Amino acid sequence: MTPKTEKNILGNSVETVKDLSEHASPNFRGSITFNPELINDRYEALLESCPTNALAKVRENERTIISVDHGKCIACGYCKDVEPKLVKIQSKSALPVKTKTNLVEYSNPQPVMQSGKPYEEIGNELSEKIKKLFGRSLAIREVDAGSCNGCEIEITALNNPIYDIERFGIHFVASPRHADILLVTGPASRNMEIALLRTYEATPTPKIVIAVGACACSGGIFGDTYATTGGIDKVVPVDVYIPGCPPRPEVLLQGLLLAVNRLKPEQIAKSKQELN
Amino acid sequence: MTQSHLEQYKKEIQGKFEDKIIKTEENYNELHFILTNQKDIPEICTYLYANMGTKLATMICTDERKLGNGFVIRYVFGKENGEDIFFFVTAKIDESTLSFPSIAMPIPSAALYEREIHDMFGLDAVGNPDTRPLVLHEHWPENTFPLRKEFDLKTKTTRKESQYKFLSVQGEGICEIPVGPVHAGIIEPGHFRFSVMGENIINLETRLFYTHKGIEKLAESMKIDDVLLLSERISGDESVANSTAFCQALEKIAMIEVPRRAQQIRTIFGELERLYNHMSSVAGIATDIGFAYGSSRLNIIKETLMRLNESLSGSRILFGVNRVGGVRCDITDESKTTIMKTIDKVSKDFEKVVTLLKSKSSFVDRLQGTGTIPKKAAQDLGIVGVAARCVGIDIDTRRDHPYAAYYTQHRGTPQEITQRQVTMQKRNGDVLARFEVRIQEILESFEIIRMSLQLESDGLHANTPTNLEPFRSALGYAESHRGQTVHWVMVGENNSIFRYKVRTASFLNWPIIEQAVLNDIVPDFPVVNKSLDLSYSGNDL
Repeated sequence: MTPKTEKNILGNSVETVKDLSEHASPNFRGSITFNPELINDRYEALLESCPTNALAKVRENERTIISVDHGKCIACGYCKDVEPKLVKIQSKSALPVKTKTNLVEYSNPQPVMQSGKPYEEIGNELSEKIKKLFGRSLAIREVDAGSCNGCEIEITALNNPIYDIERFGIHFVASPRHADILLVTGPASRNMEIALLRTYEATPTPKIVIAVGACACSGGIFGDTYATTGGIDKVVPVDVYIPGCPPRPEVLLQGLLLAVNRLKPEQIAKSKQELN
Repeated sequence: MTQSHLEQYKKEIQGKFEDKIIKTEENYNELHFILTNQKDIPEICTYLYANMGTKLATMICTDERKLGNGFVIRYVFGKENGEDIFFFVTAKIDESTLSFPSIAMPIPSAALYEREIHDMFGLDAVGNPDTRPLVLHEHWPENTFPLRKEFDLKTKTTRKESQYKFLSVQGEGICEIPVGPVHAGIIEPGHFRFSVMGENIINLETRLFYTHKGIEKLAESMKIDDVLLLSERISGDESVANSTAFCQALEKIAMIEVPRRAQQIRTIFGELERLYNHMSSVAGIATDIGFAYGSSRLNIIKETLMRLNESLSGSRILFGVNRVGGVRCDITDESKTTIMKTIDKVSKDFEKVVTLLKSKSSFVDRLQGTGTIPKKAAQDLGIVGVAARCVGIDIDTRRDHPYAAYYTQHRGTPQEITQRQVTMQKRNGDVLARFEVRIQEILESFEIIRMSLQLESDGLHANTPTNLEPFRSALGYAESHRGQTVHWVMVGENNSIFRYKVRTASFLNWPIIEQAVLNDIVPDFPVVNKSLDLSYSGNDL
């Protein structure tokens, strides 16, 4: 079938984007970073401006530096309003990490974060790994533990024809019993705590839990209150943290790659043996 | 609304209930009646509801014991027939009995508010037939009342063992199907209890509030600017509508005039939000009846719109558009061209998809007669938005209580208005009607955006006063893609928030789903649910 007839029959040509490397618009509020030369004495106002307490002052080698916890940051830009020269908002998102401490980035010296890879490249790498590890598709169960539904919009976007995550062998399933990975959003509200725990227990081992979004990483703007638990890891063990409010689809895919990297072939072989 | 109308109503109601009203106050389009005694609540509320053509817009309880007022409940009734008036009935609640008379029998939509007030404040509505817990599930200990002032935000309570009582249907062959809170799709959590006879749904009971995050309590401990961020996250896909409503309440309190340009930008973003969400709903309807091609096409459009959102506001779901006093992001001449181009492209694509969907008899067949909302129930439960308009209840906050830049447009010529009324009367409340209403609204949104792009140049925001007068309050409202959202804010000392009451469209519309599925079979539930497109987070707060 030539592309032309394809277009005539379906009304559209191929919409799936093959190269999303330069996808984020320059206006996008991905993450914040500092200009270390310009750090002055106005820490207090800066720290005070942050609604989620993502910023902190750290003494290191006789110098004061500022740290930003991407697991808390919701990229509202209020700190930039206070210190327009010191704070920069970049379109590049903060990247998923394996441990919570790695979410914290310092104004100085070297940033911990690596630069993001193009969407297609991550997807192909994932697809290879999944094939090697499982010999089948990767099954994901999404659990909303009290999110505002912003993260759900982005997770749903992974399934649209533009991101089309299924072409990499990744599949969203209806039951935790079919899942390899739990994708959990929200600050783990108290009313969802038990349901989340039960979903975790129903997932067969080896299982991976991914905390999606600032709320799932730290409670986000909802914090730790009478009605929330302040992060998914207070309820179930978390293997990968994906920062962002909400994280873009590319970042979600990167988080999945990191999660799959955490699975060991022996674990999967063992669970297969147990099944037989 | 003109001052004379307010005066007229004030006189009329004061004359009628002379000895029962201690004081009358005015605040913009709000007319407050302060009652002498709480026992008169049902009489006056019923009069406003039945005789003045109003709807219960929200019910607000506040803990004003520190101010010497005890607990106070405000009943807000909004007029929906083109007069921009909200009536407030304010009553102090008897502190010795901690109870107040219920109005749930004459005004059924009050029932949920009364249960909410019981959970959050510990005040009993005497006469409400349903006394089960609502917000705080059965595992919360007794005497936990989060919105009382002495309750600490960070309190961690213990869990107790208890069972929630669902309404059970008895008889031969009746089965129960429990669904949720963790659902099969990528959606929010909630529990549905179906009682079925074979495939037919005999009864459905929804149990929500799984995502209760304590937003109202949290707001009381935050700075006003931070509460704005919180209001955007009441429901991620309604960020513009909710933050607009919050900002308007504060702008009324601070008595500031928002520049025209900012109003227009709010309108544009409000409509962009409606667009991408309506696309998502229509796509969801196609998915849920198994028409993948239609939903793929619509999801492509949705993604295009979300990228437009991103390039304009820096967020794919429009976070960070508003600020108190105006807007945070501008629409430059360059962005105007981007908007026009995208809208032109998208509207062409959309028309093609709609023609395709409407021409498929297997598609239309599944929607016709499915999930029919009974009009009487819709009126009693006071539902709003698309759900109301699909049964011919002609309400729209953008027209009934104009805000942002909506008052100059969206009215149409007299012929268009008549035409609209005629189509309205034909709508019968099924999924097909909701599908058609959404398509109609998408086309209107394209128009509104095109018209609003003639931006004035009077600035992005007004200066906000550094000090707000303590204990002033006001109502803000907006029409989200789900319907009317109403926010009531009372500021406290030192520019804090004393009480933030949020009522989104979902709170009013959730009960109607129990009525809408009654003649359907279980496999139709997903499409009925999607066609109503309700937010769990916006309901649970």
